[in-house]
Amino acid sequence: MKIWIYFIALMAGISLSIEGAVYGELGKTIGKLESSFYNFAAGSIILGLIVLFFGKGKLSATTEAPRWQMSGGLLGIIYLTILIFAIPVVGVGAAMISVIVGQLLMSLLIESRGWLGSRAAPVPKEKIFAVVLMTISLFLIY
Amino acid sequence: MGLLIIAASVAGGTLLSSQSSINGALSRKAGTYETTFFTFITGALMLALLVLFFGSGDVMKILEAPAWQLSAVWFGVGYLFLTVLAVPQIGVIATNISTIIGQLGAGILIDHFGWFGGLRIPLDGERIAAFILLLAALWLIYKADKKQIKKA
Repeated sequence: MKIWIYFIALMAGISLSIEGAVYGELGKTIGKLESSFYNFAAGSIILGLIVLFFGKGKLSATTEAPRWQMSGGLLGIIYLTILIFAIPVVGVGAAMISVIVGQLLMSLLIESRGWLGSRAAPVPKEKIFAVVLMTISLFLIY
Repeated sequence: MGLLIIAASVAGGTLLSSQSSINGALSRKAGTYETTFFTFITGALMLALLVLFFGSGDVMKILEAPAWQLSAVWFGVGYLFLTVLAVPQIGVIATNISTIIGQLGAGILIDHFGWFGGLRIPLDGERIAAFILLLAALWLIYKADKKQIKKA
């Protein structure tokens, strides 16, 4: 039975909410931009070690890639900093739903337009309905 | 203020989704861990400059901050590893949906109990209704994705 794998994925999501809640508090202790910096600096050290010992890819490929593929870090810092500002004001639940609604909207746009190296495909109506349901629930939670 | 924050968080989500597409493209050539490392190190460099010029806190307080607050980075890295473990076993769609359920369930519980010292927002009828709507939305997405895979 693969049920424990679903539990692992569930734990992954729980980790994200805990991360957000704790960074909200760290932001009050050391400052919001500073907390964001801490995350990326400490994360670089951890992942640097992981790449060193377990990396099977090619790190140098990152510098040869097209420029737009290098923007992941920029997007990541804006995202995390927004979250660190948001959580102490609206709570973890509302912040997380907002993020998920944004993710879903953007992924539909990316899929339907074939942006960022994806293949263009029509958006199924179930997904549009899902966005509507999620937006209603965002208003209920907020 | 609240609504503005919500709008900013939705915008943050759109950035996250773009990031995952961009990193997906990069990782095909560079590898998963290498791409994540690249994201973290470029992010750290940019934030170092931002903190220098616009930081209003005290970065040296990192050394004095309680360890539990610093542990947040392990949850971020933990998320990455758990995802890498789960995706090959149950697929991207099931992993994403289970992750979102965990994220929202935990978010609502953290708010309800005020865990980690943050805001305390009790779980009321509206929040329960919202959670049920979300599960329905996720079920629709799951169905649509399964259909798309069958076609492909």
